[in-house]
Amino acid sequence: MAGLLFTPLAWAALSLLLDFRRGRWLSWLGMLIQVLVSLSLWFAVAGGGGFFYALAGWEAPLGIALRVDGLAVSFVLLTAAVATACGVHAGVYLDPGKSWQRYFWPLFWFLWAGLNGVWLGADLFNLYVGLELISLAAVGLVALGGEAAALRAALRYLFAALLGSLAYLLGVALLYGQFGTLSLTGIAGVVGATEPAAALALLLMLAGLALKTALFPLHGWLPPAHGIAKSPVSALLSGLVVKASFYIAARLWLELGDRLGSQLLAQGLGALGAAAVLWGSWRAFRQPYLKQVVAYSSVAQIGYLFLLFPLTYAVAEPVSRLAQQGITLQVISHALAKAAMFLAAGNLILSVRSKRVDALGGVSHFLPFSLFSFGLAGVSLMGMPPTGGFAAKWLLLQASLASGQWWWIAVLLLGGVLAAAYVFRIYRASFLEDSVSDDFYHPPKTLEAIPMILALLALGLGLVAEPVLSVLALPFEVAAGVTAVQP
Amino acid sequence: MRRLLVLVSLAACTALTIALALAVLVAAESAVVSELPQQLAASLGRSGVEHPTTAVLLNFRSYDTLLEIGVLVIAGMSGISLASTRSLEDPALRSSDVLLYALQRWFVPLMLLLAAYLLWAGSHRPGGAFQAGAVLAATGVLMRLGGLPMAFIRPGVLLRLGLVLGFAVFLLVAIASALAGEAFLAYPPGMAGGLILAIETVLTLSIGMILLALFVAAPVSAEHEPEEGGGS
Repeated sequence: MAGLLFTPLAWAALSLLLDFRRGRWLSWLGMLIQVLVSLSLWFAVAGGGGFFYALAGWEAPLGIALRVDGLAVSFVLLTAAVATACGVHAGVYLDPGKSWQRYFWPLFWFLWAGLNGVWLGADLFNLYVGLELISLAAVGLVALGGEAAALRAALRYLFAALLGSLAYLLGVALLYGQFGTLSLTGIAGVVGATEPAAALALLLMLAGLALKTALFPLHGWLPPAHGIAKSPVSALLSGLVVKASFYIAARLWLELGDRLGSQLLAQGLGALGAAAVLWGSWRAFRQPYLKQVVAYSSVAQIGYLFLLFPLTYAVAEPVSRLAQQGITLQVISHALAKAAMFLAAGNLILSVRSKRVDALGGVSHFLPFSLFSFGLAGVSLMGMPPTGGFAAKWLLLQASLASGQWWWIAVLLLGGVLAAAYVFRIYRASFLEDSVSDDFYHPPKTLEAIPMILALLALGLGLVAEPVLSVLALPFEVAAGVTAVQP
Repeated sequence: MRRLLVLVSLAACTALTIALALAVLVAAESAVVSELPQQLAASLGRSGVEHPTTAVLLNFRSYDTLLEIGVLVIAGMSGISLASTRSLEDPALRSSDVLLYALQRWFVPLMLLLAAYLLWAGSHRPGGAFQAGAVLAATGVLMRLGGLPMAFIRPGVLLRLGLVLGFAVFLLVAIASALAGEAFLAYPPGMAGGLILAIETVLTLSIGMILLALFVAAPVSAEHEPEEGGGS
């Protein structure tokens, strides 16, 4: 348990003292440790149920407690998988000759530490610190070695992220002022039905988190930042970073939403999500640059996540559970598929030496493997069986039907069709034979294998959805005397 | 169009302020009585320090502080990692005023003394590593503006070591306590006071270094790398 927290932090400190090449060996060792620790924690929770872990030996509310449950460990494991893939890819992909690359590993490890902190956090202020760690590390990674355009994108990202954080912090301050505790479970225990101040706090926090998650129409900062970052960084940002703020919003909503929320707020957030699906997919279809296509596709896929709010507000318990499972699967499958897509896009760009979609002509002969990974990931985004994306949409479809909110079904179906449109557009460009150049660069085999593994994982998720979901629904022991478990 | 936008945003800000003020009033009236102050007072004796703020920052909620130091390290790192940024390394931006130099000979030792005092005061009255680090950084900024040479602040292994020193020591204590069988970050009984002072001392150095590095040490680099994304 403690290993999960301190390995990324220790590796961040150590790798700052090394250069890129030596940091790479150190980091690969660290990734191995992280994967093993995450797996053992996952099995511990799958076997014995969730628990609270009190940090520094002080119980909440005086100290900070971590909430280790099925959902948290599943996301910890997902993070280990995606971050390891991106880390291995980055080790080969990034040019070790550049002086600034030495800062990649420390930022990468701080990002990982922040992500784990958010998945396990149960304290509102601690979650804020986790968010800050993630945002600043992400901004640093976008800006790393970049020139004017990258710096502009990074600065825009920084301002959006800071504004979101401040709105969230304002909400935390209001809640603390009223309830005198920062523990989320503690607040959920005392909050009543009509608390206008607490409702305003929830609204502020959700607004801030929606900005950080790039919910339409607050998504303006995402495509430039995710598009211009190096491919392994884009994969981390789209796969994991935007999920962290959504995760906090979802936890807040599920704990407090039934008393502090309203039907208007829930339907409004759902409508914005639906608009994001349609607008993001349409924009993705229109982009001239390959990575912008993938980035706008993220805007669209994030939209689906916000269907959680209407589908869990004032509905029967089994319907709400169905929606939660669907959204969780959507988070996992999108993280895997989008990371695969960005890494494959990086390979394609490396190969044709151009970032434009129409420069891809003829690449299907030379890089069929990367193109195939891109397509497999695309199949999951479209939501075709047997992918994880399909399983997620199927559950959401059922939840919409069961709660009588049929209008979301149209969004789910139309979103799939639009996703197919922008993925096939890339394919069409790559099969065109009228390209003047047949001079392609062949990236190393490692770079081609990693997106393939991720895409296959996204594909296989649909087949193993049942056991994955059973871990999420594990009972959570709210034991009074919480003891530390150290795998 | 532009005026309309300004007016609308002004109205939105005013509405938000009024809503916030109302919310604070309502919250103050219906505030739940919390047992947190009593808990804090009861546990203060075992925290190793006498001032509640320091106890909260470095003992009860030390995990938050550890991560906040991480955020500062990231900021410092991102600052020095940015390529091709003009900085005060440029000699044209450096002044060499005789009067300033004379003033500095008085100010710098005094400010260093103040930083040390703030650090020491943290255990029983307001003060501590963050304030002391800020004063330390201000001293460095003053020295830099006055034209004193500061070779250690150039991006190199010494600077990186300085950036990460406080964080690393804090983390080392945390790991040592976890390995010794306590919870992550739990100080061994009886040693809390000494350890907190040691951590605060290295934190002061690192915080000063990070803030100063952000001011001074952006490197000038002429290397280039092609960009992948497109303009938006």
